[in-house]
Amino acid sequence: MKRPYLYIAILALLLPALLRGLWFYRGFPAQRPEIATPDYASFVRPEAAVSTPDLDNIDQFGGTVVLDGYHGNQFALNEIDTLTSAIQARGGKMEIVIDALSLEAQLKTASAFITISPSLIFSQYETQLLKSFTERGGRVLVFTDATRFFLSYDFISGNPIAIGDANAANTLLKLWDISVNNDYLYNTVKNEGNFRNVLFNDFAKSELTFGLSEVALYGSRSVESASGQILLQGAETNLSSADDAHDPNAGGAAVSEDGNVVVFGDFTFLSAPYSTYTDNATLIQNLADFALSGERAVNLNNFPYLFQEKTVQVFVSPDLQKAPSLVAALGSLQSSMRLLNYKLEFVDEAPKSGDTIIIGTFDVTDEYDSYLKKADVEIDFDVINTTQFGEVSRSGNALVIFDANQKGNTLVLAANSSEDLLVLLSSLGYGSLGSCLTSDQVAVCSVGIDDFYSDESFSDPSQESPEGSTEPTPEVTPTPSG
Amino acid sequence: MSDADVRWERTRNLLLWLAIPLILGLLAASAVPQPVIGVIRLEDAIYTYSAQNTIKQIQYAIDHAEVRAVVLVIDSPGGTVVDTESIYMELTRLREKKPVVTVVNGMSASGGYYLSVNTDYIFSKSSSLVGNIGVIGYLPPSPFVVEDIITTGPYKLWGAPRDSDMRQVDMMRQGFFEAVKLGRGDKLTAEDGVIFSGQIWSGMDAIKLGIVDAFGTETDGAKKAAEFAKVANYQILDLAEPAGVEAFGGFFFMEGADGIILPYPKEAGFYMLYIPLLPVKQ
Repeated sequence: MKRPYLYIAILALLLPALLRGLWFYRGFPAQRPEIATPDYASFVRPEAAVSTPDLDNIDQFGGTVVLDGYHGNQFALNEIDTLTSAIQARGGKMEIVIDALSLEAQLKTASAFITISPSLIFSQYETQLLKSFTERGGRVLVFTDATRFFLSYDFISGNPIAIGDANAANTLLKLWDISVNNDYLYNTVKNEGNFRNVLFNDFAKSELTFGLSEVALYGSRSVESASGQILLQGAETNLSSADDAHDPNAGGAAVSEDGNVVVFGDFTFLSAPYSTYTDNATLIQNLADFALSGERAVNLNNFPYLFQEKTVQVFVSPDLQKAPSLVAALGSLQSSMRLLNYKLEFVDEAPKSGDTIIIGTFDVTDEYDSYLKKADVEIDFDVINTTQFGEVSRSGNALVIFDANQKGNTLVLAANSSEDLLVLLSSLGYGSLGSCLTSDQVAVCSVGIDDFYSDESFSDPSQESPEGSTEPTPEVTPTPSG
Repeated sequence: MSDADVRWERTRNLLLWLAIPLILGLLAASAVPQPVIGVIRLEDAIYTYSAQNTIKQIQYAIDHAEVRAVVLVIDSPGGTVVDTESIYMELTRLREKKPVVTVVNGMSASGGYYLSVNTDYIFSKSSSLVGNIGVIGYLPPSPFVVEDIITTGPYKLWGAPRDSDMRQVDMMRQGFFEAVKLGRGDKLTAEDGVIFSGQIWSGMDAIKLGIVDAFGTETDGAKKAAEFAKVANYQILDLAEPAGVEAFGGFFFMEGADGIILPYPKEAGFYMLYIPLLPVKQ
């Protein structure tokens, strides 16, 4: 009797809780899984291999490297200390150029021109100077960097515009068929500590890549050249930010077809500590070698920096009387040359070797006859025949001939009279061939008024013999001497 | 026994064996709590104050049994690495006991997404911004000495060499990437290069990449959380008030001279932060 009541009581007691439980809870939740979290202690700090270049066998090239300082260059000198030191270790020195006119003058003695992250474009005058410079064996090194830019603002919208260096660099590099892309290279798979620090291990055969097995660039633009070579090529996982793709025709650096222009998409690798990672230190040593080791062909475009020795022998033709006016002119020349660190030594006989200046008249050509022949110049009764400029009047013009060979460099200064020579020496004292028709080897300089001036005095060979004439047309515009 | 006695006997038995136990049962049943789906809102950058407030709510959810699951509502561009990791670790403790579902409102970027991957399910809106996986570090200046400041070591003033900071950022990156892989696992459909590129995606793209699980609202989040916890007829409770969250902390972002709040943090450091840059042409 009592048992059923007991069951009812228990049911009544439990039912509300049971119903409430069933109302709220629909079974037992699954056991919580173990929550996996990163094993922070296992993460490895990426470290770059440090290499030391061989500094025991450094060639003492000497020479001057001109550093661009007027194209809005976005760098500080201390950022390229390693390159500067490497150049100095080779007996070279770095000079900063601050305007285009100085560039022309400084390139005359330079082995290389370096521009780093320029933001201002190169003028046609400057690019022609540098093109001519490389044609004479000078080296041009261009460093851009994807991390360098400054903000300008759109005049109308006020929106900021980042001004980088690719555009400015390309105004120069187009002459060598090289272009720097307005991007940056990155690699999320294998890199040097960060995706923007890209490794390169595929190198073109070049003096610049000698001894390299791997280099790292830090925020590099991609560089390409249709006719030149890509110096630094990386894995297929090296991508360009422009299209997030790998371009086998672009890399971190390129060299021009003539081998005298090298372009890097980065210059951070020149700064410590990045300069010590991978084989960057060796690359920097190679760059210093490259900058100083160009085989420079000295010609009249380098005037007045024509000589290799510090002492230049001066031979004055015996038919010239050393009148006070000539002595004064020679003294003026001596002073000018002294400013260029050349010491003039006057000699009585035409030297057989060494750097020499020969001064004479058109009447007595014995001492410089061989140079006339070499330059293919003939002095007739009233005209001077040159292959470069055709016939020019002998009167009122002076002749400058330059010859460079292993025995020494020789400069011949000749004119119709001692008076004309005085004028020539005076104008050359200014260190310029600005009033001269100039080729690599020969210059014809106006030194006065033609006593016998007539239209025939300056004859254009092409006008005289239009059919089949092989004489070149006179060049009336002086060649830029940079 | 008279009829009255019989009736009384029945009434007494009814009271004794049914009504009283029922009343007692009803009283006891009230001890069975209504399940609570706790809501934790992270609608700010992740920095000291917002992290402390979030952690308080997480601890409340851990400590209170009636909170059967949690919906983490995120609208955050991320923040400091250390504060993000603090919340991440507390979230792990919570998840070991209770399911957590993320609902992304405006944005779950960088550090915000770091937290999202440490939950059981991620809802977003189709237009929410999600992703931006990665770390930002501000390199210190190259060390120099200051005449009037004496320090006991070359990096006492600067913290670390510039290069060292870069490498530390990479270690933090490894942590972030690992957290995403552990959290999302096979759900990710794209290659690592895409997922870890730092891109920020709309919800529409994110769902295709497996960055999020589904589109949904806070209601959907609560339903999903309840499903994981196997509860119904639950109460949704914003945990901010019971956890004693302070209403105001401090300023994380830089303020311009004109009073406009900029999207950049005030201090240099390491961040898991999405910084929408101004439109800059090149």
